[in-house]
Amino acid sequence: MIEVRSLTKCYGEHRAVDGLTLTAPAGQVTGFLGPNGAGKTTTFRCLLGLAEPTAGEALIGGRRYRDLDQPRRQVGALLESTGFHPARTGRNHLRIIARAACIGPARIDTLLELVGLRSAADRRVGGYSLGMRQRLGLAAAMLGDPPVVVLDEPANGLDPEGVAWVRRLLRAWADQGRCVVVASHVLAEVAQVVDRVVIIRDGQLIEETELAALADAVIVRVDRPDAMVKTLRDDGVDHQILGDGAISVAGRDTAEVGALAVRAGVTVTELARRSPGETLEARFLAAVGSER
Amino acid sequence: MRDLVAAEWLKLRTTHLLHGMIPAAVAISFAAVAGAVLATDRAGIPLASTRGIRRVLPITGTGALLVLIVGILIAAGEYRHGTAADTFLTTPRRRQVVTAKLTIGALVGLAAGGITSLACVGIAALLYKAKGSVFPFDDSEVWLTLAGTLIYTTLFAMLGVAVGTLVRNQVLAVAGALAWIGIVEHILVNLAPDIGKWLPAAAGQAIVRTPLDGVLSPLGGVALLVAYAAAIAAAGARFAVTHDA
Repeated sequence: MIEVRSLTKCYGEHRAVDGLTLTAPAGQVTGFLGPNGAGKTTTFRCLLGLAEPTAGEALIGGRRYRDLDQPRRQVGALLESTGFHPARTGRNHLRIIARAACIGPARIDTLLELVGLRSAADRRVGGYSLGMRQRLGLAAAMLGDPPVVVLDEPANGLDPEGVAWVRRLLRAWADQGRCVVVASHVLAEVAQVVDRVVIIRDGQLIEETELAALADAVIVRVDRPDAMVKTLRDDGVDHQILGDGAISVAGRDTAEVGALAVRAGVTVTELARRSPGETLEARFLAAVGSER
Repeated sequence: MRDLVAAEWLKLRTTHLLHGMIPAAVAISFAAVAGAVLATDRAGIPLASTRGIRRVLPITGTGALLVLIVGILIAAGEYRHGTAADTFLTTPRRRQVVTAKLTIGALVGLAAGGITSLACVGIAALLYKAKGSVFPFDDSEVWLTLAGTLIYTTLFAMLGVAVGTLVRNQVLAVAGALAWIGIVEHILVNLAPDIGKWLPAAAGQAIVRTPLDGVLSPLGGVALLVAYAAAIAAAGARFAVTHDA
């Protein structure tokens, strides 16, 4: 379980992470979403003890990373900033981590097999493609068989088949009871697999939602959103303003929303049912809207 | 800590760093000692005399400069290749990483010093024979100088690790160390020997018993170089802990 509490990280005047609070429970895949530069990587770096928070804290199982016993066995991490020595083979990269973390060498072959690098294991990393490096990074993250897995843009450099493979891995890990957090700036890469999403922008929390809570919604677009919103509010209907005159209405079907629009006296220009995935996408785009 | 040192050794073994640098360090010393034997002979100084040995054997320490660079690369190389984050993920207590690197640096320096000493004594003995002298293996000056070479290369390797921990930019650290020893210290030693003798390379020269005026005693040199390595390593360890990786 990961808990981030009022985390702030400043680089000079720039607040890369600004009072961020979020949690990621065990047994679930938490999507950590936001546009590039939103503060996802910085949050991870603070969580993993690579950067010192300016304020607040980021805890794993209630403890700071640096206070963990045998951290490789507790947390697996894939970071964009992590590099490889180009002259070293993939297998040797893993051997070094295993040696320092007191992990038996048998795990290395298991993981090389898992990430599909067995045949390339004894080649130098300098000759690896971006996707192969990403696979090697995943193997390194899982060396210690950790209950907490933190991945920064794991699909980077992978082909569509590889992206689907990563999704299956994440699902399997969460189903094994692990706490999986995956950061991405591309919702589509993770939307199918996440149980919950945390959306951030400019270092601040925009939204934290369980996907299961995103039941089917109805999207209605009207000429006078204010009037529609007033009617919805008067009737106690759960709704969210998406911008562009669009409103997401929960717990009502299209006919009911249409009737509400008639009562509000507005002209409907769009009325459609949305799946949870589509709702999530709409919220994500609304959150990162100014980036488009 | 044993596992960390073993991991550091694995890091070194799995790159080309040692393959190139250690033979180069040995070769430089080897060539320099050979040259010193010939120059001493030409100067008419009896090769087998203590004076002759003092002109020849301290040159064995020449390769320590490359060992210093190896030390820098052991530490700063992790930032150059972006592997520092992985290292600190495995060992978040960064002082332990610095200690392991200093240890492996010392071992590499000691080994390099040993190989260099053997190679240099070997070539010197051969050239002595060719010049009609017998290499004075029974002269304590020989063994004191070789012991000094071992200490010098060991401490210089550790000094390199310390510098590379403090200056994460590998190119800057190497260029800075070379410029310091080759230019700054050289100028200071010549212009202001009273200051110059307190500098690291001069301390190294004292350790290998180079017959220079005004250098410290060999033990004084050891103490001074240990102090430099310890002070810079302490500053480097502090930097590693207080600065984001």
